Amino acid sequence: MAITRISNIANTLPDDSISNSKLQNVVNFKNIIINGDMSIAQRGTSATGLGNNDSGYHTVDRWRFQEVGTPTYEFTQTQSTDVPSGQGFAKSLKMDCTTAQGSLASDELIRIAQRVEGQNLQYLKKGTANAESLTASFWVKSNKTGTYILNLVDQDNTRQISKSYTINSASTWEKKTLTFEGDTTGAFDNDNGNSLQVIFFLGAGTDYTSGTLATSWEASALNTNTAVGQVNLADSTSNEWYITGVQLEAGQVASDFEFLPVDVNLERCQRYYKEQLTNCRINVNSGDTYKMSYPVNPTMRADPTGSFSGSHGSLVGSTGTLTPAKNNIKWDHTATGTGDSTLHDGTVKLDAEL
Amino acid sequence: MIITSATYQKLFNEETNQQENVSIKAVINGKTLIVPLDEANTDYQAIQEWAAIEGNNIIDPGA
Repeated sequence: MAITRISNIANTLPDDSISNSKLQNVVNFKNIIINGDMSIAQRGTSATGLGNNDSGYHTVDRWRFQEVGTPTYEFTQTQSTDVPSGQGFAKSLKMDCTTAQGSLASDELIRIAQRVEGQNLQYLKKGTANAESLTASFWVKSNKTGTYILNLVDQDNTRQISKSYTINSASTWEKKTLTFEGDTTGAFDNDNGNSLQVIFFLGAGTDYTSGTLATSWEASALNTNTAVGQVNLADSTSNEWYITGVQLEAGQVASDFEFLPVDVNLERCQRYYKEQLTNCRINVNSGDTYKMSYPVNPTMRADPTGSFSGSHGSLVGSTGTLTPAKNNIKWDHTATGTGDSTLHDGTVKLDAEL
Repeated sequence: MIITSATYQKLFNEETNQQENVSIKAVINGKTLIVPLDEANTDYQAIQEWAAIEGNNIIDPGA
């Protein structure tokens, strides 16, 4: 891993040859989190009414809103420009409570999470005696002070670990750093599936809070030890929570946030979601079949779910068959008339999220 | 996630000379989506779980 090499270089260089800060600016993809600076939001910048049955991706790429149970609370999720001053960030993710729920039912929760492919985590050596520690760092702000939980879940082996952090000052950006020990039990699968969930809790019922916080790795994810002490961000419509600069890296020390060029960040996000224009107009003959293929770059994590918003010409029956794949989009049309016709004209949304 | 319906989409395969399932047209959370037959796709996983519940099935128009 480049992380190790750069660290070794730093240890052997004379003090005045190169500064540590310059070394820290070397891009080596040390951050397990994608879009930790919240700069990419392909789906849109605001989503309202998030509550019951709304688990999924709504605004900022790769960050998943998660609810469980049948909550009555509602949140607006926004890509915000409210950021910690002088830290280099331009965007944050904001959760704003718009319908309050004074207390959550035992099985209910509110979370913002990122899911990570196992094949990107093999260097952590999880499940071996050499398992790496993980350190999370992030900037957070809320009017709702108190205890919050960051929970890591090993989806492959049904294991979890949680750490708490405290928002001390209302409506003030604070930087938090949490270190999680390495787990010598259970290796991550080496595939494109969801192996690790990085979960920021914003509220949790007693099914997740009535035990003792799982500050060491333990079996059985999501139990009474998961989110002990978590405040309820849904208990007032005055409540809001912001986060940016999320970094999760190997080791026990939080380094400076790894800023990536926007094109690199966008391309990393487009492995999981992208929108692509498809447009074709030609002369067709009744009864003939027409096949079109559009390349998809970058190749997506898996064959994506597709949805089309646009139109088809009347000479192809105002329809077509869309077949999305990880590296191309295929359209098939059968002409119902002869003449100049649009086959398809619109945007295909491709979703291969975890 | 609320799945209302799921129907296989078929295309003619010139090599096998048969209509073959290529994807599933599903209504999920009120939206019409084309879900690939890829076990790594989370919507496909959800449809399989949905179809395993008695009373739900993926409609096969050619069957």
